[in-house]
Amino acid sequence: MSNSTIALFLAATLAVCPVLAVDHAGHEKSGAAAPAAAPTDRENVWKAKLAKPSLALTTAFDGKGRLWLASIRGRHLYVSHSDDKGTTLSAPVMVNAEPEDILGDGENRPKIVVRKGVVYVSYTKGLEKPMTGDIRFSRSLDGGRSFSAPLTVNDNREIISHRFETLEVNDRGQVFLAWLDKRDLSAAIRKGEKYSGAAVYYAVSDDGGASFQPNLKAADHSCECCRVALALDSDATPVIFWRHIFGKNERDHAMLRLDGKSSPIRVSYDRWEVDGCPHHGGALSIASDDVSHFVWFNNAPERHGLFYAHSADRGNRFSAPLNFGNFEAQAGHPHVLSLGKAVHVAWKEFDGQNSVIRGMSSADGGKSWSPSRQLAATTGASDHPLLVADGTQAYLSWNTAQEGFRLIGMGP
Amino acid sequence: MMRQHLLALALLSVLILPAAAQELKPFVGGSIKEITAARQGKPFILGMWSLTCAHCREELALLSGLLKKHPDLDLVLVATDTPEEGDAISARLQQSGLGGAQAWVFADPFVERLRFEIDPRWYGELPRTYLYDPSHKVLAFSGKPDPRQLEQWLKKYFTRH
Repeated sequence: MSNSTIALFLAATLAVCPVLAVDHAGHEKSGAAAPAAAPTDRENVWKAKLAKPSLALTTAFDGKGRLWLASIRGRHLYVSHSDDKGTTLSAPVMVNAEPEDILGDGENRPKIVVRKGVVYVSYTKGLEKPMTGDIRFSRSLDGGRSFSAPLTVNDNREIISHRFETLEVNDRGQVFLAWLDKRDLSAAIRKGEKYSGAAVYYAVSDDGGASFQPNLKAADHSCECCRVALALDSDATPVIFWRHIFGKNERDHAMLRLDGKSSPIRVSYDRWEVDGCPHHGGALSIASDDVSHFVWFNNAPERHGLFYAHSADRGNRFSAPLNFGNFEAQAGHPHVLSLGKAVHVAWKEFDGQNSVIRGMSSADGGKSWSPSRQLAATTGASDHPLLVADGTQAYLSWNTAQEGFRLIGMGP
Repeated sequence: MMRQHLLALALLSVLILPAAAQELKPFVGGSIKEITAARQGKPFILGMWSLTCAHCREELALLSGLLKKHPDLDLVLVATDTPEEGDAISARLQQSGLGGAQAWVFADPFVERLRFEIDPRWYGELPRTYLYDPSHKVLAFSGKPDPRQLEQWLKKYFTRH
């Protein structure tokens, strides 16, 4: 399928259903005493949201330079690939045979990782109640020609929020998923107790994704609806990065090495106290020299905008956060990618007419940076920017309502 | 396929149901200018909220309480949901005692532009509240605002019941 076909498809769906889901999937809260709409109303609202087309399109390169794409159409996840950097795409293959409500708004997007010829995908399936979901996983052992029946990774099966999952696979074939989970909030509500935020849970598969070990809790009290970032360090151990609730209500960022013995480490000290939902998570990339690169957004009165920091010693010390992007232009949704000493950052701004993706690069492991430059623009709705690499080159991966999918080189 | 058809039918029925009593205006490019132009020299509160945000429920309850205390408060509410959810939006406002407020709903998928026109420094976090003084100098709050701070501001411009 070509780009223009995707664009046509999007145009057609937009024409039928002219309004895209707005990126504000909020969150329930313990002990909210305010009157709610009748359950059926809320459920109808949820169904209407789920039925809207999504621009969320996630890409990944395999080890041979082939680009893989995961996107949502209707109630199915589709995977296709491209051998010419996205100019022409293979016929999309359906992942879930049974229709499901796959979340693709706000910070929700399907995930795709390809290692040693195996295609791994994950997504959040919206359940019948608003702001609830299950973490789903599938893989293809035949080069993307067919996919296993998706399995539910969260072993708590309450109709509550298990959402915002992230996925990685190491070269040993271990599969890691981490996500935000409200089972502890749910238990607290049953006991009449308070519980702030959600929790971060994760699951590990030691058999290449055929099955998962019981879920483990990484941390209590995460912020509720910001994406979780996950990367592998030089020991192929997963590290997560997420927006946490520190103290009473400081929605700052934390990292945790999922080795079963490390404790969460606070990464940011911006001290944004907000009784609300930012819908704005960070990103993490760990370079081959084990330097961790972090980007995030915060909106505290004193410290606001986008920030970059790195740590060369697994979180013992961090560089002074670098504030970047134009705060007067909605600079947001940053992504980071490292390739050895090269580090690339991309984010979205709005210049009054266009949504613009801007980028900056470092050749020395994040110590010094190029001036920021415009990478792409659109005059309509668009997905968050992603950075992907084919082993030697970094690319911006961006889906827009008007132009369709684009893969744009970040340069050296 | 059958389920998809049923879903489509359900959506259609939402679209053709009779409109609720409260008019829900489509918020598009230029709407914020329309809102401010209609209030030249006058103070008002602009409240951004969504059906799917629990903190917004607390915000609506707070604003409703303020409206009871200050009946002449000019309150403009903009839901960042979609026009398809109009009935549920109106229902929620009625239930919150805000059926009399001027109500709008985002009606353009290019949300970055809508946000920018309202406030380039608004990143989509909800609830988001703007206090416009008579010269339309604006105080902005992310998350549920401090009720005492709101009350202090209101006392300057609106009578207390």
